[in-house]
Amino acid sequence: MNGTRAATAATWMLGGLVGLCIAAMLGLLFFTLGSGLASLRPGTIERITLADGSSRLAEVVADDGHALLLRTSETRRLGEGYERVRRGDVVARSEPVDAFMIGLGDGRRVLGVGDDAALAAAVGSIGALARVVEVLRPNALGAFEGAGIFLRRLARFVATPPDASNLAGGVLPALVGTVTLVLLMSVLVMPFGVAAAVYLHERRGVGARIVRTAIDTLAGVPAIVYGVLGLGLFVHGIGAGIDRWFYADRLPVPTFGGGGLLWAALTLALLTLPVVVVSVEQGLARIPSSLRDGSLALGATREETLRRLLLPAARPAVLTGFVLAIARAAGSVAPLMLVGMVKLAPASPLDGAFPYLHPSRQFMHLGFAVYDAALASPDAIRGVPRAYACAMLLVCVVIVLNLSAILLRNRLRDRYRALES
Amino acid sequence: MRASARRRYWRGRVQRVLVAAGASFVLLGLFAIPVYLAAAVAASRAPVGVDWAHLGLLFAGSLRATACAIAVALPLGFATAMFSAHFCAPRLRAWLKPALEMLEAVPTVILGLVAATSFAPWLKSHAATLLALLVALPALLLAAGFAFGRPSRHDGWLPLSVLPLLCAIVAFGLWLSSRAQAPWIVPASPWNATLVGLALGVAALPLVFSVAEDALFLVPREQTQAAFALGATRWQALTTVVLPAAGAGLFAAALLGIARCFGETMIVLMASGNTAIGGFDPLIGLRSLGADIALGMPDAAPASAVWRDLLVATLALLASTVLLSLAAGFVRARLRRRLHAGAAA
Repeated sequence: MNGTRAATAATWMLGGLVGLCIAAMLGLLFFTLGSGLASLRPGTIERITLADGSSRLAEVVADDGHALLLRTSETRRLGEGYERVRRGDVVARSEPVDAFMIGLGDGRRVLGVGDDAALAAAVGSIGALARVVEVLRPNALGAFEGAGIFLRRLARFVATPPDASNLAGGVLPALVGTVTLVLLMSVLVMPFGVAAAVYLHERRGVGARIVRTAIDTLAGVPAIVYGVLGLGLFVHGIGAGIDRWFYADRLPVPTFGGGGLLWAALTLALLTLPVVVVSVEQGLARIPSSLRDGSLALGATREETLRRLLLPAARPAVLTGFVLAIARAAGSVAPLMLVGMVKLAPASPLDGAFPYLHPSRQFMHLGFAVYDAALASPDAIRGVPRAYACAMLLVCVVIVLNLSAILLRNRLRDRYRALES
Repeated sequence: MRASARRRYWRGRVQRVLVAAGASFVLLGLFAIPVYLAAAVAASRAPVGVDWAHLGLLFAGSLRATACAIAVALPLGFATAMFSAHFCAPRLRAWLKPALEMLEAVPTVILGLVAATSFAPWLKSHAATLLALLVALPALLLAAGFAFGRPSRHDGWLPLSVLPLLCAIVAFGLWLSSRAQAPWIVPASPWNATLVGLALGVAALPLVFSVAEDALFLVPREQTQAAFALGATRWQALTTVVLPAAGAGLFAAALLGIARCFGETMIVLMASGNTAIGGFDPLIGLRSLGADIALGMPDAAPASAVWRDLLVATLALLASTVLLSLAAGFVRARLRRRLHAGAAA
């Protein structure tokens, strides 16, 4: 009886640890998404009056119990409005309903109080000097207006390029860079991945065992090592060689001898190869052998069976591998830090000028935008929310991709279960 | 007719060659890495020797981060795997596995972001709370199980039914710590090995889970059912039949988890502070091999001594992780053969 009790207690502990995992997972997800969404919400403007009689309009950015960190009007330059006041010095805080906020193109915010005429005058005088992107009265927003502003900010974040400081504006180039990169990567990796998977499926000898070990090993190689290979071998080795032979007139300015889209895509292709191979091979293995035997019995060769029957039947598995590879590639940042990912790219790798895709150009990446805004930004108070906004986009992309991979795999499983019965 | 037969033949040949080419590309990719690294190190003519002292510090840093992460990932991963393979209600299991796969897919830069910018400020003043929660959570769960628990049909849903209790304990701990003014444990730096360990542990958890669960699930049903028939409880079947049979698989999971943590770059880069400090203190910063490479490589001139040292660091990283994953692969293959033989006999 006592032993049963102890066993139940141990079971409870196991279950509790599982619950902890689930809670941590959900917590991480909601925290990231929530912080990302919160960074786009308009904050409240307060009038803070201090003991010395001075008062200011400000947004309270942080409150550690001892002091308030305020962001007041930034009329001249970005980041000048931060002010730290002791809580004891604050005598009054109020939220004036007629407070307004004018958002400028470079990320500055000018705050003021007044009726619509005062607001129009302020917009007129500031608009002569800087680009006004947003005018709103944050304290007087209804729920619908608030949601509208939130959506407009989200759209601007996704669909506009950043300004020169990389603290304001959107992340469009980073999105375009990420998408171009993963698509080019998948074009490179898919043929080789599928071929290797077919090889593993068809052969049973020493060769297959060696290839299988190679795949397992490649899957365990740290991502940064691929980055080193990309920088040393692709960029400094092959790229510099291409420059010497074909672009000698442009040297010493590198064309392919510097980090760029092509080398990054190749590096990621190596990185995602095991994902594709494993997924496709599992799909091939799941096809009932009766299908294959039937085809061979009707006189088709092994190659014809593969081309006409097995590969088309394994199409969802190929698609799963493709999606998983894209998800893996979209989330890997470390190797790309070495092979051509930059904070601000001078020109997009994808544009309207012939040949439209420029594989030698440097590019921007959503994952690097997260790292850069969070840790390398000169203005952490602005940078960290921006990093969370980028993280939110990245998480959404990766989760949607993975969910679709899981659904595809389940569909494949169901289809063959139906075939077998 | 003969022409079409010839075409058929040639098509088959070409296809076979293409398939073999794909497979050889994999091998090429694998061998290119060590061959390139070794050749580049050997060809280097840098006038100064390799800075082994610095390399040693980096290696120690990676080890310290890995140790902290493993302390998180192994208990959680093994517990989740054991529960999922042996106790879990099938419907919960069908959700748990994809959910953990999803966790594996979360980019590590996001874990690093949360750890470095949101969790670090909390941990700086609440290290004692964290320690207390780590000790109190399992103890309170055990106590609660001892007090209220009885074997029931619904044990498969325990993780969800215990969730409110869990949240209550955590919330109580947080409330208590927010009232206590004096932090008893003060980390030397807000970015330290403990912080890295927590984030890295969460990153390695899905891998440990899936490998361990795979091994536990491979244990033939007949063996557990024989144990039940002899009167064993679920817990007894787990400890006397399943764990001994699949122990090697758990070992492989641990090896793969260690390799994963050892090679991870982004989390360590963001959450460790990147100061090359030796020692075993989990509350001071560190600099790992991967972070050093990511920080140094873009600015290092090719063929310089710094470049060569970074290549040596990469080789060290590659060698350790590949050895670990090869060992894990060997253990897993042997386990699979043995269990299949057992099932067939």
